[in-house]
Amino acid sequence: MAARPAIPASPKNHKVKAPQPGQPMYGCEHIQLLFNQGQAAIDTSIQHYKAILRSIFDTTPLISQTAKLTDGPTVTSLTPTYLCLQCPFTLTEEDRARHGTKKSHRFYVDSRSGALYCQMCDDIVWDPTFEELRLRKMGTGTFSTTRKRKHEDMFEASDPVRDNPTYISSNTTAASCKANGLRGIYNAGATCYQNVVLQSFLHNPILRNFYLSDGHQSSNCDVPHCLSCAMDDMFQDFYALENTNGYTAANILSGFWISEKKAFENLVTTKEQDAHEFFQFLAEELHERNGDGKRPEIGSEHSCNCVIHQTYYGKLQSTTTCQNCNGVTNQVQSFLDLSLPLENLSQKRGKKGSSRPGGILTLQECLDEEYIKSDKCEYRCHNCNSMQQARRQTSIKRLPNVLSIQLKRFEYKQGRNERAAKIDTPVQFPLQLNMLPYTNRARSQDVRDNYELARSCTYDLLTVVVHVGEIDTGHYMSYCRVGDQWFAFNDHKVELAQKSDVLNSKAYLLFYIVRSLS
Amino acid sequence: MSSKTEETGKAGVIVAPETAHPVEKISHAVLDDLLYNIVHDLLVKVHRDEKTARANTAAIKVEKLAMNAIDGATTDPKPDVEIETDAAIYKDGKVMLKGNPLKTTKEILCPRCHLPRLLHPTDGKGARKPDPGVIYCKKHPYIDKPGYDIYGQTWVAPGPGRGKKKKDQKLDPNDPSSPAPVEGSAKDRPPNVLSFPSATCSKCKRCILVTRLNNHMGSCIGNSGRNASRAAAQKISNGSNAGSQNNDNTPPGSQKGTPLPGSRAASPRKRDVDEFDEDAEESDPSNPKKKKLKLNALNKKVILKAKSPAIPGPNKKDKPKGSSMLNVEQKVDDDAAKDSTVQVLPKKQTPILKGLSPAKKIKLGPAKPPLPSPAGKKGKRDRDMESESSGTMSSPPR
Repeated sequence: MAARPAIPASPKNHKVKAPQPGQPMYGCEHIQLLFNQGQAAIDTSIQHYKAILRSIFDTTPLISQTAKLTDGPTVTSLTPTYLCLQCPFTLTEEDRARHGTKKSHRFYVDSRSGALYCQMCDDIVWDPTFEELRLRKMGTGTFSTTRKRKHEDMFEASDPVRDNPTYISSNTTAASCKANGLRGIYNAGATCYQNVVLQSFLHNPILRNFYLSDGHQSSNCDVPHCLSCAMDDMFQDFYALENTNGYTAANILSGFWISEKKAFENLVTTKEQDAHEFFQFLAEELHERNGDGKRPEIGSEHSCNCVIHQTYYGKLQSTTTCQNCNGVTNQVQSFLDLSLPLENLSQKRGKKGSSRPGGILTLQECLDEEYIKSDKCEYRCHNCNSMQQARRQTSIKRLPNVLSIQLKRFEYKQGRNERAAKIDTPVQFPLQLNMLPYTNRARSQDVRDNYELARSCTYDLLTVVVHVGEIDTGHYMSYCRVGDQWFAFNDHKVELAQKSDVLNSKAYLLFYIVRSLS
Repeated sequence: MSSKTEETGKAGVIVAPETAHPVEKISHAVLDDLLYNIVHDLLVKVHRDEKTARANTAAIKVEKLAMNAIDGATTDPKPDVEIETDAAIYKDGKVMLKGNPLKTTKEILCPRCHLPRLLHPTDGKGARKPDPGVIYCKKHPYIDKPGYDIYGQTWVAPGPGRGKKKKDQKLDPNDPSSPAPVEGSAKDRPPNVLSFPSATCSKCKRCILVTRLNNHMGSCIGNSGRNASRAAAQKISNGSNAGSQNNDNTPPGSQKGTPLPGSRAASPRKRDVDEFDEDAEESDPSNPKKKKLKLNALNKKVILKAKSPAIPGPNKKDKPKGSSMLNVEQKVDDDAAKDSTVQVLPKKQTPILKGLSPAKKIKLGPAKPPLPSPAGKKGKRDRDMESESSGTMSSPPR
């Protein structure tokens, strides 16, 4: 088939994955036979598999979904087709058996998942060698292992004993199988706004890996009441102990009270505070403990290699175009989160009499409003040397690894009795979010067929923080995803949650994690 | 979709009526195909998890046999043994599958601890009774049961006077008589009801019930705005106890005896109980865990009595004594428990816990052992673990 890219002669020999303890070496007896036919068979099988994965994940699905019947018409199907591993044919499920009998080709790749089907087993087989390639292609978009994930390099830059396999086993004790990081956190008296943010940190894989790999060792830190040490202790307690009861975040709480930073105005112990403000406070505090020590200047472009910046910070670019001379000024600033106003949009919706009931908004509509549409403003143009009307447009220059979004549900109403009000408008948000349209690359080049770029802008929902009840008397709870399972965290209580529970909640904070760390 | 208009797609579930317009038929077929894809993707994911787990189980089993055959003495990566099971072959240090692991292997062994995995939750939705003769891996399926968390635990609701509310009873359907006397419902009470622990304030080192920790720290550390005046007022009224500087001179007992600011335990009777608690603790500071539990039982009894006006105050004193006998028994249990696993505990402690009524919670704070010396971080953590595990009657009922 012309569609399949030509396979270049590879200079090096491909290898079957070395046997791992507790794992069979091959996916099935038949793959074992295939790989034992000699180096040539191994090379061609692996090269073919890579080529098939590339055509599945890097090109339009039209190619992999189109099967050519042996003696009939070409069929493009919505349902999976099977790409022969041993020749460049793509077959429908019905034709697969006939092809196998005729050519004695026994292995096919499922066009939706890239999984390998063995005709002799009549089952999908999960061979360690092939599976490693598939996961790498799906996860990072490349087969190469040398292009390591950036922050992983940073976290474990110097580890001379990493290659010594006995070093770890002889110097550590494995955590119990029961320790899985799923614990509640006791409410220490109106601290649920802290608990939801702490849970979102605890179930953030990047922060978890950082702390569990001794990114900040509390035993080596001299700072009194260091919040990062308190986080380190908390991660240890969640992921190393067998306890299933709630966690008492006493050190975090005291670190919070002791911190010189004024986290909140009018801090009153008995009152709920804003979870979003606590998130900002905690992020800045952890940045100071782990980063370059500089205070992040709000509104400016601040780059730092600390774990918090690597995790949460992205960059926004605002482009201001003078309506008089068409001169363009760009301004770049870092952001910790995206704050999306709801009030204007829901009012607009109400006026238009939208088709959707109850003035329901979608997250994408809110993002459109802020990062695609432009607004007018006055500004002092350097070229014209005078105040001019200008068009200002903001887009995302660099996406963060974990995207945090605040839906502004709490607004201060100006007026006679100035007070805060809660906006209860439901906002629909997806499990999987494509951020490409909101980046500045969306406009600058044709991105329609760039699958790798699209992949790097795909985010999966990780945590949802929900505020229930009235503004003063309400309560925070959160949903976090661990693997594919969702859990509801309500202070010390942890329960299983359905995806529908999560998606129907009235989110206040949303955390999305990038799908492929490349 | 092929050139001819089919009535339905690959799943064959969404079918257009025969008389339908061709466009309608196509849209039915497309929808049907999409449904097929959803199911397909889901199945591939589940299939992968299950088949990989079974294949690894087959490998673990045959490797174990091989290690036994060579006595584990050699460090040679390719020991000269050949072992064959129904599911796999071990040869030259490699494991090769025999047949399809989904057919040959029935159980799943944990890849880390090599113990069999429990495949069904022990309670709630889809629950099955585990085989009592098998030691399972500690990673259990999560429990999906209203009112209980994923480990099958439930909590005593916070705050006094809530024991009789409907909401609480719903939380604990096995024990409709939860506010009733301790003795009656002992057997019915599940061992998985937890209480709220206490924590140490990092500044004044006092033990504070977790639900009041924020309040306490606000006044103890916060020292800002109107809290400052509040704190000052407290200092004046409480004398030296509230100030952290004087802590060392204050015997831990009297520190504990001091009612917390804002505490609801204003009645003198309750205070008596607190003091008693402290005494018990001091008699055996090495065993904070058991103590706390015991105290719970104690408190409970006391409170129950207190609720009925017919019983005179002096009775209170009697109760504690009775429980101090319990104390001894408890210690024995404790030792046994230390060697064995946590699972042993729940049963024995059941009678005590069961009695726990919400009203007692407040008492738990002061019940924690005094921690007058600012121990190192390490020590603090150990203590936390201890005290937390005291509440952990968490292992699901077996």
